[in-house]
Amino acid sequence: MSQRTPFITNTKCECGHQNPVGTVLCEACGKPLDDNGNTNENLEMRYDGRARRSQRVNPGLIDRVWNFFSSVKIAIYLIVLTLVGSMLGTIFPQESTFLNIDASTHYKDEYGVAGDIYYKLGLSHTYESWWFVTLLVMIGASLVICSLDRVLPLYKALSKQKIRKHRQFLTRQKIVLITEVEEDPNLWVQRAVQPLKKKGYRVVTENGALLAEKHRFSRWGPYVIHIGLIIFLLAVLVRGLPGLNMDQHLAFPQGDTVPIPDTSYYLKNEKFTVEFYTEAEMPEEFRGTKVLPKLYETKAVLYECTAECGDPSKEPKLREVASHDIQVNSPLNYKGLKAYQFDYDLTPVLRSVQPNLVNSVTGEAFGKFKLVMKNPQRVYQAGPYELTLKEKYMDFGMNEEGQPVSKSPYPNAPAFLFLIHGPGLPTEGQQYFYFPRQVDQVKFQQQAINDKLGGSERFLEFEVTAMSDVDFSESTAYLNIRVDKVMPFIWIGAAIIMLGLVLGFYWQHRRIWLIVENGELTLGAHTNKNWFGFRREIVSFLGKMDMTVDEKSLDNGGGLS
Amino acid sequence: MSLLDFSSNVFIAAFFLYSGAFMLYTIAIMGRKWSGRKPEEHTARWGKVAFLASSLGLLCHILYFFTRWSGSGHIPVSNMYEFMTFLSMMVMVAFTVIFAIYRKIILGLFAVPISIIIMAYAAVFPQEVQPLIPSLKSIYLNIHVTLAALGESFFAVGFAAGLMYLLRTVNFDSVAKSDKKQQRLVEFTLFSIIVIIAFLGSVFAFRGAGYETVFIRQNVTIDSPGQEDSTIEKVSYKMPPIVAPYHSEIESFQSFLGLKEPIFEAPSWMNGVNAGRKFNTVIWSLISGLILYGFIRMIARKPLGKALHPLMDGIDADDLDEITYRAIAIGFPIFTLGALIFAMIWAQVAWGRFWGWDPKEVWALVTWLFYSAYLHLRLARGWQGRKSAWLAVLGFLVVMFTLVGVNLVIAGLHSYAGTD
Repeated sequence: MSQRTPFITNTKCECGHQNPVGTVLCEACGKPLDDNGNTNENLEMRYDGRARRSQRVNPGLIDRVWNFFSSVKIAIYLIVLTLVGSMLGTIFPQESTFLNIDASTHYKDEYGVAGDIYYKLGLSHTYESWWFVTLLVMIGASLVICSLDRVLPLYKALSKQKIRKHRQFLTRQKIVLITEVEEDPNLWVQRAVQPLKKKGYRVVTENGALLAEKHRFSRWGPYVIHIGLIIFLLAVLVRGLPGLNMDQHLAFPQGDTVPIPDTSYYLKNEKFTVEFYTEAEMPEEFRGTKVLPKLYETKAVLYECTAECGDPSKEPKLREVASHDIQVNSPLNYKGLKAYQFDYDLTPVLRSVQPNLVNSVTGEAFGKFKLVMKNPQRVYQAGPYELTLKEKYMDFGMNEEGQPVSKSPYPNAPAFLFLIHGPGLPTEGQQYFYFPRQVDQVKFQQQAINDKLGGSERFLEFEVTAMSDVDFSESTAYLNIRVDKVMPFIWIGAAIIMLGLVLGFYWQHRRIWLIVENGELTLGAHTNKNWFGFRREIVSFLGKMDMTVDEKSLDNGGGLS
Repeated sequence: MSLLDFSSNVFIAAFFLYSGAFMLYTIAIMGRKWSGRKPEEHTARWGKVAFLASSLGLLCHILYFFTRWSGSGHIPVSNMYEFMTFLSMMVMVAFTVIFAIYRKIILGLFAVPISIIIMAYAAVFPQEVQPLIPSLKSIYLNIHVTLAALGESFFAVGFAAGLMYLLRTVNFDSVAKSDKKQQRLVEFTLFSIIVIIAFLGSVFAFRGAGYETVFIRQNVTIDSPGQEDSTIEKVSYKMPPIVAPYHSEIESFQSFLGLKEPIFEAPSWMNGVNAGRKFNTVIWSLISGLILYGFIRMIARKPLGKALHPLMDGIDADDLDEITYRAIAIGFPIFTLGALIFAMIWAQVAWGRFWGWDPKEVWALVTWLFYSAYLHLRLARGWQGRKSAWLAVLGFLVVMFTLVGVNLVIAGLHSYAGTD
């Protein structure tokens, strides 16, 4: 239902004030402009009856966009659509909750036809979808425009209020009292000032008329909330820009110092601890059936690289900048770089071995050399023999063409190909394939490979004789390394939202207008919420003025809000 | 007697005090027409006693909370049992606050049973004190959970007042189409509450009788060619199985009233053995709910809405409307702070991201958006009275789904509690 504004409207009030189009109550005296005073309906008190920008006649394109977003109805539609969209996203798990899946088949395999439809509708990544992000952006636009459209006229209306309003403005409020007063108007009004001031009102009078007002700040509550939300939403949008946010999951074997990619930092896991609750600490029904973790902790030291950082051939110069015992609810935090306990692995990881080069025929040992899994040296010397490292595979395996490859950068199945020069060997040297782990030697048939490489008369072998020649790191901690530069703005936004909520919901703007003339008192009162408490306050005030009034009799009908 | 034993004893005392208070509220409201006194006088007198009883119950409840806290060494909100007992306590706190403002005796008649039902629901879950897992060891457990529960409790009181508004204002005698629709909706709401009561009744009845039937299911998954992995899942039914888990076999079966085998099998999309069990519980709740509803209808000899309507005589509808709104308006900032802002702060500290679209997070947001829409509709679009009351009723459904439903059917990261 739309009301067409006539081409020329008389918006001049009888008090002489010229009001803009769209004004409901005269900006100066408050007289209702909607009719000729025949009705007794409650007044539309929003923004004190002022015209909003969105009520312009003959809107242009910008005005139309403005009008669209300034509508609370549209805002509610946006809220409801976002609500429904969010709900839909929880029917099946989102793609982002899985690691390494092919979404196009996963949803069908796992959830059947419904899952397939879900995937094809794009609901498997609802919250990153263009329409959901658009909804959030539109809510942002609505927040800005709705607020501006309303806060300015409201501010103007409240900052210059006339004390004596038109009588109709009073009699058409939701709280009204009309009663006889014998006293001199000015005296009665003056007598009313003190009890109202006691109740916390700011009171102004003007011969026989009074305006009492308190907690006006509560009216700004909604706009403060909206400002907070805008900051919050902007921070969320900006967060997606490159460079503002880093998120990586890295493995830190115990005792290792690992560089953090894209930063100048190195983090050392000095010790990782996992503890479980003992049987005695658990309730009976859990004993013997359930294992409950008690503590995950990584003793971490953070270093900053000061020199030789990018050069892999040189040892980087590190300076300790922070250290922290990282637990699940206690991340390491250094200048916005945060390290969170994410996961762990108790499988020992091989760090280095010291094989002995021996003559398998005579049993003669030529000497030990230290082979480090990560960044090993190129050339080793064992007695008269020189060993050159030709190839290195951290996680040995074969690709489809039968070529040796490394399946991952983690030392799960390390393998090394050496070229050995020395007495008794061909001048071009002899190749030797070495798997430091016993299981891998068997699994990948080291013996057979080397027989093939070196021929049947080969006599050199690597042997690890003592456990002390093997160095393991006992466990690996997985840490989530994060930088999130917009977080302060998120928290500022949230704090402003809370401030606005408290202002808006726990206080109410209350105003009382009084006119005493011709032996009659007219009282009109308005609040933005909690009419119940307001009526009670007015009854108590009238009691102080020696008037007994029933709370309900103040109710001028109409809805309560 | 250890501190924890004392704690569970005062908890039981609180439960009985609430039940007693509920009866006293009933006498205060229903008895006013039969007693010799003036109705207002009767209600005021008995209402005072009822409020005293419910406050005493709350005191015991608070005592339970702090003794359990000190006995277990951590705040008792860490599993479903503890959370539900805490939520029921907060409902009573919210009721007390709203009662202090509006002094409407009849509010007790509707708010106290909500707390009783939640308490009974708590008892469905294992009650032993469990040690905290590392992710729950945080001061934010204390802040986030308690504030969220308090906010939600105000929504619960809003729900109670909204339902009262509907019972007060719906024209139960009219046969006009729009009135009929309202009557049916009110009746459905009341029926849903009865189903929940029936669910609790059947859980405790079968538990008391020690009923158990066990199903096993063999899952064969083929990992890589030639490699078969088979796992055996076992599920124990505590209610007679009308429906068996999909593709399962009976391990042991306790017959019940001639029921010697499951009547049918759960459809294939109900993955996992527990889905079948939950489905079975839903069926039992509906059956016993229908029986209970039919029984009450037989006594009342009219629709329940119509039977409850006279209780509202003399209650000002506008006051109920305002109580509904006020409860929600008080709860909304608390809910925002507890269920969203502190949730984000904790998520940032524990998981390194303040928001991750986890189902529980999404549903907290859905709840927030729902009540935001409610407030905008009410304040800017003038939705008051009937429409606003319906939204308050529906809103509490959203709250309960967020608290219970998400754990029951969706789970996700935030499933510390486990549900039945």
